[in-house]
Amino acid sequence: MVDKIEEVVCAAIGDFNGESSESKQLAKDTTTALYGSGAVLDSLDLVNLIVLVEERVRREMNVSVSLADERALSQKNSPFRTVGTLCDYIRTLISESV
Amino acid sequence: MRPERGVLITGASRGIGRALAEYFLQCGDFVFGVSRGEASVSHERYRHISVDVTDEKAVLTLFSELSRDQQRVDVLINNAGIASMNHSLLTPLSTAQRVINVNFLATFLFAREAAKLMRAGKMGRIVNFTTVAAPLSLEGEAIYAASKEAVTKLTQVMAKELGDLGITVNAVGPTPIRTDLIRGVSEEKLERLIRRQAIKRFGEMRDVINVVEFLISPESDFITGQTIYLGGIS
Repeated sequence: MVDKIEEVVCAAIGDFNGESSESKQLAKDTTTALYGSGAVLDSLDLVNLIVLVEERVRREMNVSVSLADERALSQKNSPFRTVGTLCDYIRTLISESV
Repeated sequence: MRPERGVLITGASRGIGRALAEYFLQCGDFVFGVSRGEASVSHERYRHISVDVTDEKAVLTLFSELSRDQQRVDVLINNAGIASMNHSLLTPLSTAQRVINVNFLATFLFAREAAKLMRAGKMGRIVNFTTVAAPLSLEGEAIYAASKEAVTKLTQVMAKELGDLGITVNAVGPTPIRTDLIRGVSEEKLERLIRRQAIKRFGEMRDVINVVEFLISPESDFITGQTIYLGGIS
C-alpha cells in the first residue's frame, strides 16, 4: 500500500520531472536511485528535488521538515540513495517531530 | 509598461527599508514588508508581516503562507540590520550574538527561503545589505563590521549556488545615511568617516534606491555576487 509520504514524494518527483530534461526523469518507484551509484542526479538536481519534497511535505502534510540537516549529511548510508530511503527518512523525521 | 513585481523587504518599518517600500509602491509593485513591530506603511498593495527575522520557525511559517497563497516574490531586499558601536573589549557576548543573528543569520535565512520560492520561476533577485564600515574596518564597530563582511561572503557564495536557478545575489553597502541606525553616533565621528569617502557627503535614500533598482532590473541578469559600496569606498 502506498502511504501518504510515498504519495507526497512521488508528487514531488512529478514536479521535478516537469522541470528537468529527459535524461533526468525519475521513476515514481521506491527503488529509483536518486544519488550515488546508479543515479542520474547531480548535486544541484538533488538540491532541487529536496526543496520540492520539503515544499510538498509542508503543503500537503502541514509539517516543516529539513531534509538536509546535519544528521542526513553525516549518515554513513545517505537517506538520499533511493526514493525508498528518502521516504523512510521523512517518516523518521515526522515521527520525531510529533 | 513593466510588469508588477513582488518585493519582500525586511526591516520595512523605518529607515532605508521603509523608503524602499514606499519607492516600490510608487512603481506599482506589490510589497511584503517584514518587521518586528506594526506597519508604518499603508497601501492597497502593501502587506505587512510582523515577524522577528531571527526566529526560524516564524520565518518558515511566513514563507509557507506566501507559498500557500501563491504570492510571487521576485525580489528580496535583505535590509533588516542592527548596529552595535562599541569597543570590542566592551562588547558583551549577548550583544555580539544579537548583531550576528540579525545582520548575518537572518539574511541567510531569508535568502534561503526566498530562493526556494524564486526557483520555480527560474528568476529572482536578492539584494543584501552591507556597510562601508566593513571595508573601512572602522574602530568601535568590530562586531557590526564583521557581521556585514560575512554578508558579503554569503552574497558571493550564494550567487554561485543560485546562478543556475536564474537567481542573482548582490549586496549594496551604503555610507552613513541619516536614519535611526546612526542616531547614537557622534557628529564628529560621522564627519571623520565622510572625509574618507571619495565623494564627501551623507548618503541619501535615492542613492540606495538607484543601486537597488539597477541590481534588480531584468537587464542585470548577468550581474551577481557583487557588492557595490556607495560614496567611492572600496
